[in-house]
Amino acid sequence: MRFKCRYFLCELVLQDPRWRRNITAGSVSYNVREAVARLHGDFGIAACSLGLSVKYINAYTGIILLRCRKEFHQLLWTSLPFITSFGNRGQQFACFINTLHVGGTIRTCQKFLIQYNKKQLALLLKNCTNAEERDAIQASIASSLIDEEQEEFLSEEVIN
Amino acid sequence: MALFVDLNITNCKEVKKLQSMIEMAAHLGYSAVAINHVAEFGKKKAEIVKPIATKDLFPSPPTVQGKSTPIKILTRLTIVASDPSHCNVLRSSSPITKLYDIVAIYPDTEKLFHTVCTATDVDIICINVTEKYPFFFKRPPLRPSSHERIYAAGIFFELIYTPAIKDFTLRRNTISNALSLMEVCKGKNIIISSGAEKPLELRGPYDVATLGLPFGLSERSAKSALSTNCRAALLHGETRKTAFGITYTMKKPRDDEEEEESAEPASKKAKKE
Repeated sequence: MRFKCRYFLCELVLQDPRWRRNITAGSVSYNVREAVARLHGDFGIAACSLGLSVKYINAYTGIILLRCRKEFHQLLWTSLPFITSFGNRGQQFACFINTLHVGGTIRTCQKFLIQYNKKQLALLLKNCTNAEERDAIQASIASSLIDEEQEEFLSEEVIN
Repeated sequence: MALFVDLNITNCKEVKKLQSMIEMAAHLGYSAVAINHVAEFGKKKAEIVKPIATKDLFPSPPTVQGKSTPIKILTRLTIVASDPSHCNVLRSSSPITKLYDIVAIYPDTEKLFHTVCTATDVDIICINVTEKYPFFFKRPPLRPSSHERIYAAGIFFELIYTPAIKDFTLRRNTISNALSLMEVCKGKNIIISSGAEKPLELRGPYDVATLGLPFGLSERSAKSALSTNCRAALLHGETRKTAFGITYTMKKPRDDEEEEESAEPASKKAKKE
């Protein structure tokens, strides 16, 4: 039998974006467990930590992917808003967690994240100030579009 | 998909802070926010200040996450009242309250709470969530009749989630107060809003919707507490500016030259007739 899971695609919003490089899988999992224990007590931490793991971390964009059992995912979700600071090696960073997507597989989360990041690029392009930035963002948008075309091309080939 | 609204962002004098808060709300996916102006009638006669001009805040408001429309900025007046006479400001339909999009009342005492529940023209009744409530939302005062009146009148009870995030005693009080309110309201006519003072106190709309679960709301009613109920409250506020909710008059901004031009053809018409 397969254990059903829920994957939480979250964005860690820090007060100062430069703190993002301090994010590690261990510290994220520690902070999340602590928050669950604060809100739901011993039962919550016991139920949640069954399958709780940090699957993916992006220290540049602050994206994290958490996994937990489907039966208890609401325990985890209700305690995520109560995270106000992020502790790592004795330092405390003010932050909050914004859930972007809750999916049943990593694949759906990945699809969502790609779409989300493309939209973010478009927003960045709108808000950029100097010419260098604009060139860099336009180049990355172009490369993301090329990837998409190639994928479509490959999938068409497979079908044919 | 429903549009998410946050009806309580605390007004502060620092424009930059307010701007960063609104930017954060747009980033999180809220389509509209209301800036809260508080008028306290506790000790002396407080004056109701004019609302902040939304056009001064941003030349062009930030776009909402996942949408192409800019964020809508509204104004809201909260009256902290401890005596029924304080509500007169609302009854006389003074011009200053008409400047605001929504009007909320924050009753201090039990007696006032029940009078407010039965007879006042407000859009939102704020519930103090931070303290242990001095009274229960008892059934007899909120009789089915008066309660149905609230449903029919479209008045909403507001819960604030920011205190719950800050501190654990406040969180316990918030949850117990919310649960006792839900016993009476059964998840209807509830609005959940932030009451944030800092950008980091805001939470994403879907996170807030799940916060409704410990507050005793079902998933569906928690989501409507963020979207459809807020929209209903806004529309309820709009009807205050109208006559019986049917006609709405608005002054047309006009230059002097235009007036002269428009005056001439009118007079000619009159002559012809």
